[in-house]
Amino acid sequence: MLRRNRYRRERILLPGEHEGRRSFLKWGLAGTALLFVGGGTWLATRRTRPAPGIGGPLAALSPMEATVMLSLGERLVPPRPGFPRPADVELPRRVDAVVALASPPAQAEIRQLVRLFDSALAGFLLDGQFRTFSDSAPEQQDARIRAWQVSRFTLRRTGYRALKKLVYAAYYAAPETWPAIGYPGPPSLGPADRGESPPKPARAEEPPKPPRRPRPAGPAPRPVEEAPAPRSGMDLPQEGKP
Amino acid sequence: MSEGAPGRILDAGELRRDVEETPDVCVVGSGAGGAVVAARLAARGLRVVVLEEGGHYPPEKVKMDESWAYPALYQERGQRATADLSITILQGRAVGGSTVVNWTTSFRTPPRVLRHWAGAFGIAGLDEAALAPHFAAVEERLHIAPWPLEVVNPNNRALWDGAGVLSWDREVIRRNVFGCQNLGYCGTACPVGAKQSMDQTYLVDAVRDGARIYARARAVKLDKSGKRVSTVHAEALDQAGRPTGRRVAVRAKVVVLAGGAINTPELLLRSGYDPSGCVGRRTFLHPVVASVGIHPEPVRAFYGAPQSVASHQFADRGRGKVGFFLEAAPAHPVLAATSLGGFGAVHQDQMAQLANSSVLIALSIDGFLADEEGGTVSLRSDGRVRLDYRIRPEIWESLREGNKALARLQLAAGASVVYSFHEDPVVMRTERDVALLDRAPWEPLRVAVFSAHVMGGCAMGSDPEKSVVDARLKLHWLDNVWVVDGSVFPTSLGVNPQETIFGIAHWASDHIASAAG
Repeated sequence: MLRRNRYRRERILLPGEHEGRRSFLKWGLAGTALLFVGGGTWLATRRTRPAPGIGGPLAALSPMEATVMLSLGERLVPPRPGFPRPADVELPRRVDAVVALASPPAQAEIRQLVRLFDSALAGFLLDGQFRTFSDSAPEQQDARIRAWQVSRFTLRRTGYRALKKLVYAAYYAAPETWPAIGYPGPPSLGPADRGESPPKPARAEEPPKPPRRPRPAGPAPRPVEEAPAPRSGMDLPQEGKP
Repeated sequence: MSEGAPGRILDAGELRRDVEETPDVCVVGSGAGGAVVAARLAARGLRVVVLEEGGHYPPEKVKMDESWAYPALYQERGQRATADLSITILQGRAVGGSTVVNWTTSFRTPPRVLRHWAGAFGIAGLDEAALAPHFAAVEERLHIAPWPLEVVNPNNRALWDGAGVLSWDREVIRRNVFGCQNLGYCGTACPVGAKQSMDQTYLVDAVRDGARIYARARAVKLDKSGKRVSTVHAEALDQAGRPTGRRVAVRAKVVVLAGGAINTPELLLRSGYDPSGCVGRRTFLHPVVASVGIHPEPVRAFYGAPQSVASHQFADRGRGKVGFFLEAAPAHPVLAATSLGGFGAVHQDQMAQLANSSVLIALSIDGFLADEEGGTVSLRSDGRVRLDYRIRPEIWESLREGNKALARLQLAAGASVVYSFHEDPVVMRTERDVALLDRAPWEPLRVAVFSAHVMGGCAMGSDPEKSVVDARLKLHWLDNVWVVDGSVFPTSLGVNPQETIFGIAHWASDHIASAAG
């Protein structure tokens, strides 16, 4: 059953930041500035090394960013019997494929977010942690995720939501995860099923001329099957991905 | 284009050169509004060209797989949301528009909504009697009929049974399907062609009567000449949605904008058309809150017609209160995983029980408060469209009460535990626990909020200074441009919008035809 996460931490305010509704704007600006002008300090020199086996060439993320997403995935989906490890379903490659679908400005925002989330300097100033996310112990990682999740600043919660959706969309799209959640996959359809369809859509070459009233009544719907047979060959479709 | 010849569906992504068309009518968008108008005008012998930014996916190309469907068939590759990501927006993008991916729920416009529009916005002539023959025609063409209670799936059955126990209003939903096999994959497009989506119905009719439909052609700009739009410019897109560099230019006597309540305002703003400052204003969403109930027996809310029972018990909560209505939602893995609250073990515990979960939703009926302005569609400096929607306190109250109603329904239907979609999910095991929702945080990004019904942005009204189109859907300030999609609604509806859009499009076609003829 659900466990309450009791973690609560005093947030460290940024210089000039005060508690209040408008200050998340400042946080946004300051956070971005940290990423780009934070060089030269010891914390900013801390870098995440790409994990071995990130897998394949990446379309949108850098190997370092893909490594951060894998580290995040390991905590969003903690070890549990039946659930594959994120690396086993090629989570970084899947996240990368989703990011690559976004528009170039949106991709830039996502990558900036990933780097900010991982940054040791931002972690220190915001949450009192002085390691990169990827280099932190699991408890510290959970604490940092929690700090973003329940932050009083909308911008941080927005960032958390973006990262969470990316990881979960990528992980649970993998058919290997479906047994753990009791999803047998889509039912198998024979050619006969597809053939039963009412008038086909017009094709480019030869548009059919359907009668105005195809049939007086459709065939009776069938009740929901208890356990449809899993479709064979449930590999991830590649169409629509670059 | 010769008189009497059948039309065709063309893939603009494959064009090798720029194309110019000079039809009578250019329709931008092939969803619930555009398809009906295209078919009705083509049937009168008018030459029609339709521009559609999405691809064409006949049933044999469809995969019952979310990781294929969201990038292929949804706006922004399935990532559409308000700018702060607090409200997830599900909206289709394909030949057939959202009708390709919606859950087939079909309601006529509630008469009280039409009466409100007449009184509050001076919309004359759009009443129950005027629309009735148009709804009847659409219902016949799309085989709209009640879904038999015997084949309602266990998820919708939880709503039916719960409402029965509580003595609440309940009804079986009418669906636009023909030969439905009750598979449960409406949201990833019907793989058997049973859904009476636009690509299977009105667009087939339009093509038979000579319409030319360009798939993967995104309208990007309207050229004005005096009080008319002279040319609609579209860019061709490849499979990945990137411009190929080829253009389609359409010079038509009449232009019909039907890109939906985000993309139609976007196109007008991109074209520099906003004479009254109302374009993109009054955007309403039917903001949705969800609830998951864990049942002792399997529910398998991923199988079976996804939405077949509704309750309008709380649609009218009296003056100053925002009403809501209750329906069900399917529980496919990616949709569930990206929506459920929490992370780590909290999230995993809920996912592990997916097969035994019922998922019900409450949709808040926004736009009816006296000073309610809804959300805003605007353009970002980098050119992307942006949607902002501030959830007012009255709507948070409605979402909270809606969530309580859902929890009561699920407990009454036999759920052993119910979770809210908060980041710290509220856990309810008995009726007494439902009050815990009063103490939960009702703020952006602390609870998941959704919308699959984007409405408004080009609101109709009699006052040109306070609305975008007139009561016959023509732009106030231009002589040959109509808007025929959900963006013309001056409020939300209180029911799923597709049939209202069909009906209004069917009705408006008569006015448009006389201008184009």
